[in-house]
Amino acid sequence: MLLKGKNALITGAARGIGAAMVEVFAHEGANVWAFARKPDEAFEVRCAQTAEKYGVWVKPVYCELSDTAAIKDAFKQVMADKQPLHVLVNNAGIMGEDRMFQMTSEQDMRTIFDVNFFAMIEVSRLATRLMARNKQGAVVNIASIAGIDGDSRLDYSASKAAVIAATKKMARELISVGIRVNALAPGFTDTDLVKDLSEKVVAEQTEKILMKRKGRPEEIANVAAFLASDMASYVTGQTWRADGGIL
Amino acid sequence: MTNLEKYINAFAESLEVAPEAVPALKYGESEQWDSVGHMTLIAALEDAFDIMVDMDDIIDLSSFEKGKEILRKYDVEI
Repeated sequence: MLLKGKNALITGAARGIGAAMVEVFAHEGANVWAFARKPDEAFEVRCAQTAEKYGVWVKPVYCELSDTAAIKDAFKQVMADKQPLHVLVNNAGIMGEDRMFQMTSEQDMRTIFDVNFFAMIEVSRLATRLMARNKQGAVVNIASIAGIDGDSRLDYSASKAAVIAATKKMARELISVGIRVNALAPGFTDTDLVKDLSEKVVAEQTEKILMKRKGRPEEIANVAAFLASDMASYVTGQTWRADGGIL
Repeated sequence: MTNLEKYINAFAESLEVAPEAVPALKYGESEQWDSVGHMTLIAALEDAFDIMVDMDDIIDLSSFEKGKEILRKYDVEI
């Protein structure tokens, strides 16, 4: 098991790639603080079932990530458990609408950056302080290939480019306390974020991919589990693409 | 252990200095107290006193004496 005995905090854990990460991380032996935006009975049942299935604990923690005070309150819950934190996966993100550059307002940008970037920074600050106590840890920031290649959404792609830049800064600074920091850039992945796309757009996107299909959330989660694990002990400051081959 | 002892220990252990050298330490002036040392110091203080330090206070915590003043805000008397 890649993550046996590790305690991981995963944001955006209720849906999509985050939900797959909870399953994969638990399967690999990790205990999980599963951060989600709002209380959800189905999510809690799923956490309990996952915990029982794999013999780990999976604790739901509710937190509105655009609210700094709420993030602190959530971390107080984590700290109250008196368990070391080994892994942070900054997965929570929002996408926004496809708009022309001239039609993307400052408020649109701020809304996306609040969750995709500023919340990621705040969560990382608090989490890495916990990790620093034990002089070890791994952070996986979920970026996007849009942050590398760009795409039609200025706000989203710019926020993910910022995540990649922050990953490098964090990696440089935190390795001295034993914390590795990497970004994972998923490509076209089968989640709620893309479910409303037209067949035409889906066909255009998949045509660019060597594998000619969307990624499955668990395929992204598998790469995150690797980066979070000691198997990636010589990897830091990198951005790993998981995109089915876009060359 | 008194709060003062816990406070000095947090500095000494996180910055890897002798306890008697702690009162003279200043952020950015002492070799051991750089930005990474600062993070481990904050983590040690949070751990020692079971608190969560706000960002403004993290930035303000620049000396041994200033740290005492800041901890008072979290109901920790040194």
